[in-house]
Amino acid sequence: MNRLEHAIGVVLRVGTVASSSLLAAGLVLALAGYRDAVARALLEVGLVILLATPATRVVVSVVEYVRERDWTFVVLTLVVLLALGASVAAAYL
Amino acid sequence: MSLLNPLNPVLALIIFGAGAAAGGLGVALGLGGGIFLVPFLTLALGFPLKSAAAISLSTVIATSSAVSARRAGNQLINLRLGMVLEVATTAGSLLGGITAQYVAETTLQRLFGVVSMLVAFAMIGRINRRNVIADPTADPGRLGGRFYEEESGGVVTYRVRRLPLALVASFVAGNVSSLLGIGGGIIKVPVLNAWCGMPLRAAAATSALMIGVTATGGAVIYYGHGDLRPLLAAPAVLGVQLGSWSGSRLAENTSVKWLKLLMAALLTIVAVLMFLRSTR
Repeated sequence: MNRLEHAIGVVLRVGTVASSSLLAAGLVLALAGYRDAVARALLEVGLVILLATPATRVVVSVVEYVRERDWTFVVLTLVVLLALGASVAAAYL
Repeated sequence: MSLLNPLNPVLALIIFGAGAAAGGLGVALGLGGGIFLVPFLTLALGFPLKSAAAISLSTVIATSSAVSARRAGNQLINLRLGMVLEVATTAGSLLGGITAQYVAETTLQRLFGVVSMLVAFAMIGRINRRNVIADPTADPGRLGGRFYEEESGGVVTYRVRRLPLALVASFVAGNVSSLLGIGGGIIKVPVLNAWCGMPLRAAAATSALMIGVTATGGAVIYYGHGDLRPLLAAPAVLGVQLGSWSGSRLAENTSVKWLKLLMAALLTIVAVLMFLRSTR
């Protein structure tokens, strides 16, 4: 198996487990009506990790393609990253 | 919209259950659950389409990450083709996410109705070509691939044809994805399979990886505009995770043909309901 596929698998697995556990913990706390601020923080961080996971996967791809000196794919993955950056800009501007 | 604000255990449970059902159905059919989750949230719970789409997009991301993490390493995902097509899907979803802020609710409802109808037709008429070259040493070309096929018990090769068509389909899929809160695999997979030479399983796996990035483009915009509430997204995400996990077990024991017919019928009902609502 190639390195990139392995790295992507690790990023996605860590992101999925982290975001799901935080969301579950936050939801349970929120429903139990216990410490509102803590529950809210857990939910918010869980959601941000969820949203950041695919973007992190693209960053890892850029790094790996640079390492392989595959410039066509460095450019392609950078364009994807740029479009995601534009979404963040569109969200807050 | 008092429904959307307070902490409501019953509502959370309903959303969790809907997510589980949508995720299970989705996996059984090789789709994300968004095409079922969005109509449920809007038609049954009365959410505005934007909140429903935002919630659904977060479940799309979760499904994409979970499913692709499980598949990474078995060569089904065509990473190079995926990266090329992602350029088109992210451009499409960026544009869709921006326009969704300005498009009227009724227009979105009609669009959802049209897409549901098209999906229903595609589901009935979907051609299931195999598209593989049995020779494992055949040249897959620059973007093609090679994987171990369980059905035939050997390594097979495929080439990718009509790349421009795949790019256009990906752009449209990305656009529809952030407007309506669905993954967009429903548009890409049939095109990649029927016209671009990809075997169904490779097309589905590659699409599943791409929809994570596609949905992120739209979800981030909804999040920034306050349409993506963590408290409503959390039960949906967890429900869909559970549903897609158990759905993959269920899928093995059910006749695909009947499942597809049932889904086509369901989607037709969804389309009719969306149209009726948009005329009110």
